[in-house]
Amino acid sequence: MKGSLYALVYAAVLGAVCALLLTAAAGVTAPYRQANAEAEETLNILMVLNVPLEADISAKQLGEVFKNNLREAERGGITTYLYSSPEAQGRIQAIALRFSGPGLWGPIKGFLALEQDMKTIRGITFYEQEETPGLGGEIVTEGFRKRFVGKTIHDKDNNVGIVICKPGSAKEQNEIDGITGATMTCDKVQAMLNEAIKSIVEEKQ
Amino acid sequence: MADKQLACMTCEPKGLCGGRGLLTLKEGAWANNPLAIQILGICSALAVTNRLENSLVMGAALIFVCVGSNLLVSLLRKRTPHRIRMIAEVAIIATFVILFDQFLKAFYWDMSKQLGPYVGLIITNCIVMGRAEAFALQNPPVLSIVDGVANGLGYAVVLAIIGFFRELLGTGEIFGYEVLSGQWYTPNQLMILAPGAFFALGIVIGIFNAIKGPVAEEKK
Repeated sequence: MKGSLYALVYAAVLGAVCALLLTAAAGVTAPYRQANAEAEETLNILMVLNVPLEADISAKQLGEVFKNNLREAERGGITTYLYSSPEAQGRIQAIALRFSGPGLWGPIKGFLALEQDMKTIRGITFYEQEETPGLGGEIVTEGFRKRFVGKTIHDKDNNVGIVICKPGSAKEQNEIDGITGATMTCDKVQAMLNEAIKSIVEEKQ
Repeated sequence: MADKQLACMTCEPKGLCGGRGLLTLKEGAWANNPLAIQILGICSALAVTNRLENSLVMGAALIFVCVGSNLLVSLLRKRTPHRIRMIAEVAIIATFVILFDQFLKAFYWDMSKQLGPYVGLIITNCIVMGRAEAFALQNPPVLSIVDGVANGLGYAVVLAIIGFFRELLGTGEIFGYEVLSGQWYTPNQLMILAPGAFFALGIVIGIFNAIKGPVAEEKK
């Protein structure tokens, strides 16, 4: 009995010490982590819209570029960002929409940018994902993201939706080559993109 | 297990490690290498080694966690109730792993994104738990630190070797810089994918055992 009580107290003390340590660490790193996450998001929006940026831009400058060029708007229940540079005088040059959904291991979040015709894909980025490094994680690479550029969000019969297909088999205007060994991730990305695209298109009609 | 023998080995007590420091270091990093000889912790070794940089950070993470948990487990070894020692070990290990993960998220954001869930999964890495159970519970703190460094290093070096060859052959790059020119070298995608990891790990384990010789098997 005495042994049990000691074990209980020991576990409680050890647990409390560990919890305290972690809380302290989380508190110390929180502002850094948050700043990282925010800068990452801003950078992603600017990058996906192809807003011209200097190479070594600070987080503060990022915020300024963002303010000067972009306007936030709700559309079809999702957040969109309208790109209109000061030179364009109010004319909307492109639009970015936020998409998210479940990935293989954790949530995937990102932005999809469309040209002003609202049909052609201008770019895509992922700012949060926990896919398998080297496989599904490859969705963040430029090589994969570039495959989206210039594709359209509907097929030639005007059916809305994109298809991420087997690597090397993309033929149609709305088909994108997937990643070898990451079929599950690609399927999930395709589903979340189509969901976002549909809500935008429906809103427009 | 072979490391029982190490823990019981009686050397003349001298210095901080009781004269067993060098031997412990050699055992952990080479003769009883956790990855190449004991074949522990291969899950992460297969998963994160597609780039050299990832491999190095993962190795650093394991050294940190191994040293930290070995030290704490060793310091508490006389006070820890035997029945709940494993729960205590896991709590300590998890604390160090999360600390490292937070550190990466705060200061090496890009790397943290690359490694994804694998830093957190160090909690379940058999090497860390194995060293706490088999070594730190029976040995003084300083020697336990040496053991943590040795085993962490053993893991890190093997990871670095695998990461080096996988990145080189799989992408033609090292640290993201082109080494093998794309003009005459076609990157072998297989090395980046999971099968490449198995091949690379198998070859490294084979080489380690070939150099060490089959004697170790008989000694057990």
